[in-house]
Amino acid sequence: MAAVNETRQPVLTARDVAVGFDGTPVLNQVDLALRPQGLIAIVGASGVGKSTLLRALAGLLTPLSGQVQRPGATRRDTRGWSMVFQAPRLLPWRRVRANVEFGLEGLGLSRRERALRAERYLDLVGLNEYADRWPHSLSGGQQQRVGLARAMAVEPDVLFMDEPFSALDAITRRRLQQSLVALRRQTTAAIVFVTHDIEEAALLSDRIVVLGHAPDEPTASVRATVDVPLALSDRRSDPAFRPLVQEVEEMIRTAPQGLQAADPSPSRASG
Amino acid sequence: MSKTNRALISAGGLLGFLLAWELTLRAGLLPGALVPLPSIIPSVLIEEIRDGIWQAMVISSFQHYGIGLLLGSSLGIVVGVAAALMPFFNALHAWLARLLRPIPPLAWIPFAIIWFGITPTAAAFIISIGVFWINYFASYSAVEAIDPGYNELADAFGQGGLLPRLFKVTLPAAAPGILGGLRAGLGQGWMTVVAAELFGITGIGQRMMEASSLLATDVVVVYMLTIAALYAVIDAVFVLIQRRILRWQP
Repeated sequence: MAAVNETRQPVLTARDVAVGFDGTPVLNQVDLALRPQGLIAIVGASGVGKSTLLRALAGLLTPLSGQVQRPGATRRDTRGWSMVFQAPRLLPWRRVRANVEFGLEGLGLSRRERALRAERYLDLVGLNEYADRWPHSLSGGQQQRVGLARAMAVEPDVLFMDEPFSALDAITRRRLQQSLVALRRQTTAAIVFVTHDIEEAALLSDRIVVLGHAPDEPTASVRATVDVPLALSDRRSDPAFRPLVQEVEEMIRTAPQGLQAADPSPSRASG
Repeated sequence: MSKTNRALISAGGLLGFLLAWELTLRAGLLPGALVPLPSIIPSVLIEEIRDGIWQAMVISSFQHYGIGLLLGSSLGIVVGVAAALMPFFNALHAWLARLLRPIPPLAWIPFAIIWFGITPTAAAFIISIGVFWINYFASYSAVEAIDPGYNELADAFGQGGLLPRLFKVTLPAAAPGILGGLRAGLGQGWMTVVAAELFGITGIGQRMMEASSLLATDVVVVYMLTIAALYAVIDAVFVLIQRRILRWQP
């Protein structure tokens, strides 16, 4: 599949992108190309600028320099991109169904079409029976699945995911990782996935982008890009899985920690 | 303490107070000309109702209250929300707000009379001032306190435009605070009604002044209790509506 995708136009490209705060870069020289249906995982120590980069790629933040090319929506009833956040960020005053419909409003769909679309994606994350519940009555994992359904319901070309499972307990996280693997077969979206969990990155992605600091460099940059040539199903039992995780862990560990500024990303950007 | 027990004790306290009041007067410990017997209040109320005075006064006061409340609340919410959303507008009127805020509504009575005369409009105007400030500050703080994550969410899902964001994120997110302000304004406005009518505008306040000049203290007490009872009803109805609107809260 990867070989086929390489021949198609990327859905998202970043050229020499720098991001930071108040004109000071935290991360620079980022080049990326995301193929249709690909999944790039961005990993790195906290404070390295992962979430900030994700927001610049999505267009929620303007990069300090460089260029990001995102697709516009390919169809009238879809969006070019959408996002899953670290916290579910469900609107507490909307029932679950209406939360999933949030991004669909403004796409010119009829009420009926919106309801059907919400139903389809709630079904996909296994929460259709919760459609009429208020968000507060759902568990953290269920809320995050609603957030995922909301992001997928707009049928984006690119889905940005900002440490979406990091706030969940280990069992729920494992379950949601498995659902994401399954969901990838049912969506045409390419995914950019930010995580600090290397194993998660190796489990889900086709390509891992490692962010870190070069020796004596105060600004982080892309330290390595690692392709993950494993079949998506049951990666954990693949003999190549563990060595790959260790390889990436090693890359992050060897980044000189002393030069990293105290976490410069404000809670607004990382939350 | 169970709820029933608590209610029983509270009712006992109230009854005890009325009883002590009645007995002190009957024993001649308080001058009967200055304080009415509580036991005659119901008959005085019935008389006021039979004469149609009570209804006329209540309706009249409600009109002042309703208009003042509507005006003060809507303006307060609009200006408060706008101030929280628009930094330029906020800066522009910040000192003006600080200057006007401490002036009590009743201090506007001279201008109310000069501008509107002894009319219901004047009473509504005075009521609206206190209500305005409460709603203004409540709405402002409520919008200010919205989690910025919601705004990012709106941007990420194509709802970041001024109107979609206002109606789908800002107002619902600020609703608990705005409704809290409305409720406080409901109380503040009602307190102002009587004062706003004291200078001769038909209503509960005017009737009380009239009665006091005739030393009809029983009539005064009837309207004092009317004020308390009507407010309890207004507040209870509002709480029901508030609960309905905020039913999404855990």
